[in-house]
Amino acid sequence: MKVSFVGNFGARPEVAKAIIEKVTETIEPTILFDIGDGQRLIPALADAEIVVSHIWKADFPPAPRLKFLQSPAAGLDLIDLPSLPRGVTVCNVDGHEQAIAEYVLMTMLAMSHKLVDIATAFRDRGSWTGGGAGGGPLHGEILGKTVGIVGYGKIGREVATRAAAFGCPVIAANRSPVADKGAASEIYPLGELDRMLPRCDFVVIAAGLGPETRNLIDGRRLALMKPTALLINIGRAPIVDEEALYAALRDNRIGGAAIDVWWRYPTPAEPNARPANLAFHELPNVLMTPHCSSATDGARARRLGGIAVNIDRFVRGEALRNAVLTT
Amino acid sequence: MKALFLGNVAVDTYEGVKGELPPALDCIILNDPIDRARLPAAAADASILVSNRWLPDFPPAPRLRLVQSVATGVELFDLASLPKGCAICNAFGHETAIAEYIVMTWLALNHRLPEISGEFRTRGSWRTSWVQSGAPHGEVRGTTLGIVGYGRVGREVARRAAPFGCRILAANRSPRDAEPGVERVYPLADLDAMLPECDTIALCTALGPETTGLIDARRLSLMKPTAFLINIARGQVIDEEPLFAALRDGTIGGAALDVWWQYPTPADPERRGSRHPFHELPNVIVTPHNSGWTGGMIRRRWDEIVDNLGRFVRGDRLINLVTTV
Repeated sequence: MKVSFVGNFGARPEVAKAIIEKVTETIEPTILFDIGDGQRLIPALADAEIVVSHIWKADFPPAPRLKFLQSPAAGLDLIDLPSLPRGVTVCNVDGHEQAIAEYVLMTMLAMSHKLVDIATAFRDRGSWTGGGAGGGPLHGEILGKTVGIVGYGKIGREVATRAAAFGCPVIAANRSPVADKGAASEIYPLGELDRMLPRCDFVVIAAGLGPETRNLIDGRRLALMKPTALLINIGRAPIVDEEALYAALRDNRIGGAAIDVWWRYPTPAEPNARPANLAFHELPNVLMTPHCSSATDGARARRLGGIAVNIDRFVRGEALRNAVLTT
Repeated sequence: MKALFLGNVAVDTYEGVKGELPPALDCIILNDPIDRARLPAAAADASILVSNRWLPDFPPAPRLRLVQSVATGVELFDLASLPKGCAICNAFGHETAIAEYIVMTWLALNHRLPEISGEFRTRGSWRTSWVQSGAPHGEVRGTTLGIVGYGRVGREVARRAAPFGCRILAANRSPRDAEPGVERVYPLADLDAMLPECDTIALCTALGPETTGLIDARRLSLMKPTAFLINIARGQVIDEEPLFAALRDGTIGGAALDVWWQYPTPADPERRGSRHPFHELPNVIVTPHNSGWTGGMIRRRWDEIVDNLGRFVRGDRLINLVTTV
C-alpha cells in the first residue's frame, strides 16, 4: 500500500517517521516536505492510495488512486475539498482536545488570578502588591463564573467537564443540534449566539473555521459581551474580527483575552513575524501564545498513534476513525 | 452587647458587613490596635472581639466571650491574657482561591506558560509552536499529583484535578478517607513512599512541629528529576537552601512558590522572600503570598464572620471553633 506524507506538517520527520514506526501493516511510504516541488509532487500523488497532509491545493497534480486523505491536524480549512477526486474519505485527528482543554482552564485561571502581572512584578521588582502581606488589590477567581463555549465539539466538551469541577456554570452554542449536553446545562443554536454572549464571564472559541464561523465574533457581538468578560480563542483567528477585538481590548470594553491562534504566521523570511496586523503584544490585558495549546507531548503521541491506527485500519479494510466526509 | 472591631483588617470587615450584623450588636471600631487612649475602655466592655490579634500587653478584657479571628491563623492571639471560657473562632473561605492557584500553577508549570507567553510577547518568538516544529511541552493528563496535607485546601484541589485525567495521591497527618478520584491517602509518616511516585507535589499542610522542615534535602532527592513542587503552605515547610540548590541544579523540574521564608517590613517593603535568589531561576513561578487573596475569599470570610456573630447573639452553636480558653 502506497502512502504519501506531504507538506510542512505531515512530512515533518517527527510526524512522518513516528507514524511509520507505529504502523503495523506493510506500507510503501513517500515523504515530500515541499509541496512547491512539482517534479516530486506529481509521482507522490499519482500512485498514492493514502495521503497524510493538512493541505490540499486546487492546483495539486492528479491523484487518481487516492481513497483516504488523513490530515494530521484537526482543522480542514487548508484542504480544498472540490479538487479532491471522488470517493476520498477525509479524516482529521483527535487526541489534542485534552491538551487544549488544559490550556483553556489554565488561561481562565491565569487571567482571573492575574498570574502573569503579579508574578512578573514580584520577580522583577520584589513587589508584594497584590498579596496579603503587601495589601493592595484583590484578584479574581473562577468559582461561579459562567463559561460559554462557542463550538461544542470534542474540545468544548473537554473544557466543560473540567470547568464544571471548578463550580463554573457551563453553557454552549453549536451549529448542529447536540444530543448529549455533557457538562453543559444549556446548548444554544449558533444562530442564537447573541442571547448567550451577555451571560458569559468567559467566551471560549472552540469552533472550526467555516462559512458560518468566519468573522462570527465581530464588533457588534463583542459589544454584547460583559465589560469584564474574558475571551479565549483556541479555534481559528478569522473567527474573530481582528480590528474589532483590538479596539475592544485597547478601550477595555471587554476584560481581556487569551489568544493562541493568529491572523498572521511566520514565514521562512520572517521567522519572528508578529502574529497580528495590530499590536496585540502591547496590550496589557492580552495573554498570548504562539499556536501551541495542543503542542503537548501527550497530544502528539495520541495524534500520531491515531493516524497509524487509521492507516492500519484502511489497509485491513476496516472502518476509519474520525472520518469527516467522503467526497 | 458590645463588639470590638480592632485593627485595619477588622475595620475593613466591619465596613463590608455592617448592614448584615445583628441589630443587637453595639459595635466599637478601632483601627489602631495600639490606641492607648481608647483601647482600655473598649476592651473593658466588649463581649466580642473581631480582630487578627490580641497581644500580652493589651489592657484587661474581662467580659470577652467570643474572639472571632478575621483570618485562619490564630497565632497572634495571646490566650493567656484572654478570660477563661472565651471561645476562639477563625475564618476560612480561602480554600477555593488557593485550590484554583494550585491547579493554575500545576498547568502553567507543565505547559511552560510564563516562558512561552513571555518570549512570544517580547520577541515574537514562535520557537515553541508547532508551526516551527518546536519541542512539545507537557500536559497534566496521565501524570501523578501528590497532595501533602489532605485538609480543606487539599480536598478542593483533588476535586478540581480529577477531571484532568491524572492520578491523585495524598498524604495526611491524621487518617482521612480518600474521596472519589483520589487513589490513596498515605499517613504523613509514609511520605517517603509517596514522593517518588509523583510528577507534581502540592504542599497544603499547616505549619506545625510535624511539618516544619518536612521537605528537606533527603526528601527533595526522593522526588523525580522532572517533578514540580508547589508550595502554598508556609515557607518553613521546605528547607530553603536545598530547595534552591535542587532548582538551580535541575535535580527537580521546577516550582511555584507563594509562601516565603521572610516577609517585607515597613523599612524594607520590597524585601525578597528568601536569602537565595529564587526569582532569578527560570523554572520557578514566584508570587507574593497571594494565592488566597481574591475578592471571593474576602466575601466568603465575611459571610462566615457574620454567621458566627449572629449565632453568638442568638446563643446558637458557633462555627469554626478553634479552642476555648
